[in-house]
Amino acid sequence: MSGMGSGNVVLRGWALLAGLLAAAILVSLAVGQIMVTPAELLRGLMTGTGPGALTLRVLRGPSTLTAVGAGAALGASGTIFQILLRNPLAAPDVMGFMSGAGCAVVAGVAFGLFIPLPILAALGGLVAAALVSGLSFHRGGRQSPLTLILVGIGIGFFASAVSSFLVIRMPPQEAADAQRWLTGSLAARNWGHVLQVFGLGALLFIVLALQVRAMALLELGDELAAGLGARVERARYGLICTGVLLAAVGVAVAGPVPFVAMMAGPLGMRIAGVKHPASRLTAAAIAGATITVLADVISRSAIPGLQLPVGVMTGIMGAPYLLWLLWKEVEAGEV
Amino acid sequence: MIETGLTTTSLTLGYRERVVIRELSIAVPDQSVTSILGPNGCGKSTFLKALARLIAPTSGQVCLSGDDIGKIDTRLLARRLSILPQSPKAPEGITVSDLVRRGRTPWRGLLAPWSEEDARVCQQALEQVGLSDLADRPIDELSGGQRQRAWIALVLAQNTPYLLLDEPTTWLDLAHQLEVLSLLQQRNRDHGTTVVTVLHDLNLAVRFSDHLILFGGNGLVAAGQPEDVITPDNLLSAFGLKALVMPDPITGRPMIVPH
Repeated sequence: MSGMGSGNVVLRGWALLAGLLAAAILVSLAVGQIMVTPAELLRGLMTGTGPGALTLRVLRGPSTLTAVGAGAALGASGTIFQILLRNPLAAPDVMGFMSGAGCAVVAGVAFGLFIPLPILAALGGLVAAALVSGLSFHRGGRQSPLTLILVGIGIGFFASAVSSFLVIRMPPQEAADAQRWLTGSLAARNWGHVLQVFGLGALLFIVLALQVRAMALLELGDELAAGLGARVERARYGLICTGVLLAAVGVAVAGPVPFVAMMAGPLGMRIAGVKHPASRLTAAAIAGATITVLADVISRSAIPGLQLPVGVMTGIMGAPYLLWLLWKEVEAGEV
Repeated sequence: MIETGLTTTSLTLGYRERVVIRELSIAVPDQSVTSILGPNGCGKSTFLKALARLIAPTSGQVCLSGDDIGKIDTRLLARRLSILPQSPKAPEGITVSDLVRRGRTPWRGLLAPWSEEDARVCQQALEQVGLSDLADRPIDELSGGQRQRAWIALVLAQNTPYLLLDEPTTWLDLAHQLEVLSLLQQRNRDHGTTVVTVLHDLNLAVRFSDHLILFGGNGLVAAGQPEDVITPDNLLSAFGLKALVMPDPITGRPMIVPH
């Protein structure tokens, strides 16, 4: 039923989005303290020898792929909340879920708990989400999206403060590592991280794919969604859980990288020119991966001899965007 | 007695302490157009929502062909009965066809691809509301009347024998109100769809309905054919309105002329 004209435009959008990600990955593999040409990379990929092979296998391959996986998970997560709350400010980073996940991981390390990081991150994220929902609850009415977002920002600050407190009490070397991780960092990632983020990420994307039709109904409002056969509350809680878990998967391998989740959705939607939740989620995943990979390249190479954590760069890119969004909300009289 | 169609038995509805509808037992005649009328705050929207299970009754039940709708599986209910709430809001930027396609959700298996049947029903829904040419346009770019017809196409694509609409003509000018109502009447005549609407405009309701349910401040005032429901006495007790009722020069049905 969709017209040929708009079909072509959308196809071009997807091609552009995919091209940007491919380019970002290539740049990420090639650029660093030692430059590796694409030809060397290709030779390394084919023969498994030479500087290209070392770069792919050890130096930059794992961290680049971890960035792709984490960025995709965060991008999809942000879009879930943006669609559910109909607000571009709604994302797990802004709403404190990622700080909660980060806090749980730091607590696990500080207290020497032998719990895998993804599980810690998931628990922290879910607790933060439950707190946000509980604290903004008031009898009778449904919480306004903005209330939830503001309460989430508060929870985020609280979780960050707890993390800082725990980090300060750590031994110096451990504290430095933890601080770096809390900023959001892709340094020293290995194939274990790649496997983890892609494995868990793929699982959650399948779960999300099964929920996407209900999401397309929820988007029309609760009453229409119910009339069209959705179990509204169940569907909403299911999506919130998937969103929090996707964010936790990202946090577990890259730390609470700020603003990727918030920026990816609108960016992907704009570039691909799509509106349906299924397409928006896919576009957000690709855009999230691209943003994270690019931010990682820039933070690695912006200052020669100094590797900044990736979160510093996404923070620099994301903060102006956040301010612009807030300014728009103020203009619209929402705040 | 074998129950058919949409019926209520001792239905009581309310929010917290406030009872809006008390002990109402009533039947909506099958394959007809029924309008629910009454003054603001009389509970007519609440009643419609209860018929569609959007509100759970305080007591009593709503039955669809004898089945308590509270016990029907949500998705199966959505194949039998559809509801268009008042003033729905479309997600930003989605097109008419994207909206209408979502009406097929209750008919599609979890992993089932888009079928020819789905495409055919959507096409037909768009044709019936006269929006085939605008299928690829974003909803936000349509006029008020076109937008309302797009929403109606969504519930037509749901393709249910029972179609409930809460004030489908709000915010429309008179010409577009007529357009929307004759569209619903056409659907009833062509498909035998049972249409139930909440309406504000009494004369329009009389004109397009086979059956009326009139509420007043204290519950049901009258239900039946327009000729029997629209009487000066009933209007006085439902609305506190003094009015003449005379035959409509075009249709011969009752027409209300307020004093």
